This record gives sequence, structure tokens and C-alpha cells, in this order.
Amino acid sequence: MRIIVPIKQILDPGGITVNRRAERIFINREEYIINPNDKNALEEALRLKDEQGAEVVAVTMGPERADDALREALAMGADNAFLLTDAAFEKADISVATTVLGKAIQKIGDYDLILTGCRAADTGAGQLGPRLAEYLGLPQITEVHQVLVVGDGRVRARRSWNQGYAEVEASLPALLTIALDANQPRYPPGARIMNAYREWEVTVWGASDLGIEAAELQPLTEEKRISFPPEREFGVKITGAPEEAVRELVQYLKVRRVI
Amino acid sequence: MDFTFPKEYQLLRRMVREFAQNEVAPLAREIDEKKEIPRQLIDKAARLGLLGVPFPQKYGGMGAGETGYCIVMEELNKVCGSLAVIIGAHIGIGATAIYLDGSEELKKKYLTPLARGELIGAFALTEPGAGSDAASIRTRAERDGDDYVLNGSKIFITNGKLSDVVSLLAVTDPSLGARGGVTAFVIEKTFPGFSTGTEEDKMGIRGSDTTELILENCRVPKENVIGEVGMGFITFMKTLDLGRLSLGAACLGAAQLALEASVKWARIRHLFGKPIAHKQSIQFMIADMATEIEALRSLVYRTAWLVDTGQPFSREAAMCKLYGSEVLHRCVDRAVQIHGGMGYMRDYFIELMYRDARITEIFEGTSEIQRIVIASDIFRQEGVRISP
Repeated sequence: MRIIVPIKQILDPGGITVNRRAERIFINREEYIINPNDKNALEEALRLKDEQGAEVVAVTMGPERADDALREALAMGADNAFLLTDAAFEKADISVATTVLGKAIQKIGDYDLILTGCRAADTGAGQLGPRLAEYLGLPQITEVHQVLVVGDGRVRARRSWNQGYAEVEASLPALLTIALDANQPRYPPGARIMNAYREWEVTVWGASDLGIEAAELQPLTEEKRISFPPEREFGVKITGAPEEAVRELVQYLKVRRVI
Repeated sequence: MDFTFPKEYQLLRRMVREFAQNEVAPLAREIDEKKEIPRQLIDKAARLGLLGVPFPQKYGGMGAGETGYCIVMEELNKVCGSLAVIIGAHIGIGATAIYLDGSEELKKKYLTPLARGELIGAFALTEPGAGSDAASIRTRAERDGDDYVLNGSKIFITNGKLSDVVSLLAVTDPSLGARGGVTAFVIEKTFPGFSTGTEEDKMGIRGSDTTELILENCRVPKENVIGEVGMGFITFMKTLDLGRLSLGAACLGAAQLALEASVKWARIRHLFGKPIAHKQSIQFMIADMATEIEALRSLVYRTAWLVDTGQPFSREAAMCKLYGSEVLHRCVDRAVQIHGGMGYMRDYFIELMYRDARITEIFEGTSEIQRIVIASDIFRQEGVRISP
């Protein structure tokens, strides 16, 4: 079984201070980490590897420094790592990232599962998993808390459902996004940390290796400005019998000319 | 000259820091109070390779050299003096004696399980009448067929109770003195005639046991001699040299935490309407701590570099132990002062740090012994041999 885990390297939020009044973010310590939610996906893949055997492949798109995220993935237990880096990827938006990762996954090939985080802690978009599944034409299960069974061409997973869980099945290959609190990612053992940098290789692919045309690298979105969200005001809690509460709510909204 | 740590060491530091913060720190107070480290915690550390950091991977180690070992000791001693001391005695002196001079068979039989943390090690030199003056040891080892028969006792042995295997020094030929007459052995605690005696009740590092070892006609196979017969004193001195470096690294970690805690406290504690960070008396203490810590960091990692690149390091290692323990003493004392009443309370970790720190100026050679080592080395270069 081959499991591919797309990961993202992000700026460590622990090293930044947000100053709301000045509308500025101060970087005190520029350190990069694996997006914590992607580590949950990696942990789920490694757990499957421990339990039933699997080849775990980590892949990331990013600048050269993203190599560190892959070395850490190798140290945690991944078997292979691919860095997708190219000057042409620098302005990538989520649609371009999907194309680049999708092409790389197709080139790696022969996979049974793709596991990734639900969202990145920096942009918080939460789009990559679903987009990638669409790009590759795969069934997808989102917000997975535990992969239960993989075998006989099918995967069964427990995912969030309203206020509880649902068990969902899909045919393989499939893409699953793993929830942030699904598991406790392991620490990379020291000897594997040493080997990840001294012994093992990270394969580097650029646009030409993936056969991506310039036209496919045109972002669909453009970043105009970054601004702070307005501070949220406290909500109002309406309690009581449903009919009474609805009447109160309607009244509340009317007074504020919402309806 | 490049002072940045290679990437693997940066990731190692982050891993150990997260492990220390998440797994060890929440237990630190309980470890002190119960005078015991949960075995589960040691096993967790072992799975990450923390019980074999400097040793090559072919012996089950992490393969991270002295630099890696210093990083691990620095980060662990930030959160738990007891755990750092247990690992220091296990790796830094217990297993290192076997690694430096043990035969290939001894390394396979003992170093590999020690490095993996399947066995815990200890180092037994001190006796009621002998410590740093190793030439005065009385424990006797007499040859009997293929065995040695050992009689005597060792005191103040870190991991004496916890360990499975002990590297121990005994006199094989009283007529030859320290050089030629003293031999190092690996002793399994299950060997007949081996027992543990009194466990000490200490001021600090209470989670690590300090115990008496008793040898009564203890039979040890001759294959368990570390290095050559009669050369044990040299093995032990070389081992202690390395141990001193890692102790300096451990002191660095605790001193750094004392500084960080003091800075944080100085920002939140108000006096006469302002945080005490605005008082020059506090600023000067903080500045002195930071300066000494920076000097210690340079000394420790330069010395680790000397070891890892195969250069002489004895003098510098003694300096790491001497300066490290004294910097820690001053930093933790200032931290108590800056914290005021809070620094004296058992609810707060500064009090534990203060008690744990004091031993570093005493064990594995007091500050006075380190000064003798440093001065002897300086005078030796001038052709003057000084005897302690």
C-alpha cells in the first residue's frame, strides 16, 4: 500500500506577535514548521504503516527551505519525500498548488490513499484536499478522525457528523482529510533525525519535471490587500421555549433593521 | 567560521524541547516529591534515542556525537534536573567508559542495550575514603581462575538503585597504585555477591537515586574488564573528562531557564506602579545573567566541537563544568532574588531549580577539583608538573 501525504511548511505561529492596534504582525523568530494539521495526516499514515505495512510518501510544494519540512517527515517515519520547487511556482494560488501537487502525485503514481490536513494554520483556506480530490477524480472523505479499515479496494473512516461521528466508506484510491484533533503526532526519533539530513535523499522536481505548461501556472486569484478582521462583538443568547425564543429573535432583528 | 548549528541539530533541539515541555515538565514536581522517575518516562526518552545520544548507530546510539548530547542535556535540564542527572550518569559516564575502552564484545553485550535504553547504566568510583583522589580506592579485585572476585563498597552512586549495569573501578594490584594497579569492570547487578545499600536523602535532584553499592565476594568474568587490566584509572579519567562537558551543557539549560523566567516575571510583577523590569537593579541582574550564559554557550559548544573533531579537550571540558556550575549558581540565585517571595515558594519551579542546581558544583569533581585540572594542564604546557 502506498500512502501519499501532501504537507505544507508554514511560519511558526509561536514566533509571531499580532499587534491589533497597529494592524501589524511582528516576526520575532523566523522559524518554519510543518503545518500542525498536516502532521495529523502524516501520523495517521504512519500509524497505518505500523499496523499493516505501507510506504508513506511526503510531498510538498514550496521554496527550497521547505526541504526541512520533508526531512522532518522522513525523521518521523516517511519512506520517501518529494520537494516541488520552481521559481515559476512562487506566485501559486490554491488552484496552481492543486495542479502542481496533482501532477506530482500522478507522477509518483500507484497510490492507494492520499491523506492531508483539513486546513493550513496560515491561510486557513481548507481547500487543498477537496480540490486535489476533484483534480485527480478521487472519492473524498473530509474531517476524518480515524481511518478504520483499509483493504479489499475500500477504505472506511470515522468522520465528524453534526455533533457526533459517521462511518463512511469509499473505494480506493481515495483522498481523506484528517481532523486537527485526530491524533497526537509522534516525535521524530533522534537517530532518524540524523539520518534524514545525513543519509537520506529528498527528490526535487521543478515545472519541467512535472510537464507543467506556463498557462497552467497562471493563478486564478490575486492578493489585493491583507487586512485584519473586525473584532467580534459578544453575541446575544436567547433562551426559553422555542416559540417564545423565535418571537424574541425576530423582534431583535427587526429593531436592528436586519429584516 | 560558522556558528549556526547544522540543520539536524536544530531539529533535534526542537524535538527534545517539545518532548521536555510536553512529557517531562508536567511531572517535574511530582518526580521531586516522590523521589522517583516513572519508568514509562525513561522508556519514552529511550524510544527517541535520548539514552544513547553520542554513540554510533551501530551500537544502538543516535549518532549525534557530543554536540547532540550537549543539546539534549541542555534541553532536558531546563525542565527536570533529576532526569538530566539520570541520563548524565547513564550515558555520560556509565556507558561512555565502555564506549571509550571496552572490547568489541563488551560494546555489543552492554553498550548496545545501554544506548537503546534497554539497560540503565551507572558509574562507580567514589568510596567512603576516596572520591576525586581515585588513587585511594580500597575496593579489591582478585583473580580467581577465569573470574575476578570483588570486595568493597562504593558510595554516592547516581543510579545505584535504578541501574542494571555498573562501570566500576577496583584495585587489582595494590603495589602499583593508580596507574597500573587499578582496573575498570562492567558489573551486572544480578552477579552473585552484588547488593545495594543505603539510599541517600538529598537536597535536590531527588528523583535520581544516590545509593551505596556493596560487593561481597562478587564474581565478575574476566571478559568484563574494560580495556586493559591495570588501566582502569586512565579509562575513568577520560570518561570523566567527557562527563564534565555534558554537565556544563546541562547547567547552560537550567541557567537559560532561570533567565527566561526572570525576564517574564520582571515584566508582570509591578512595584511602585511599574513593572520591575524598569528598575535598574533588576536590569543589571538580567544583563549579567544573559552575558554569562552567552559566554557559557560559546564555551560548551566550542568544546563539543573539539571533541567531535578529535582534538584535545580536557582543559576546556573542566572549564565547562567549573564555569557552567558557577554560572548556574549565580543565575538561579538571582532568579530567586528577582522573584522575591515567589521564588522561595514550593509551588513555583524556581525553588526546585535552586535546590537542584547546588549539586553541580560538587558532583563529578568539585569546582576546586576542576580548578586543579585546569591549572595542572596550564602548567604542564610550561613543563611544570604539579601534584594536587
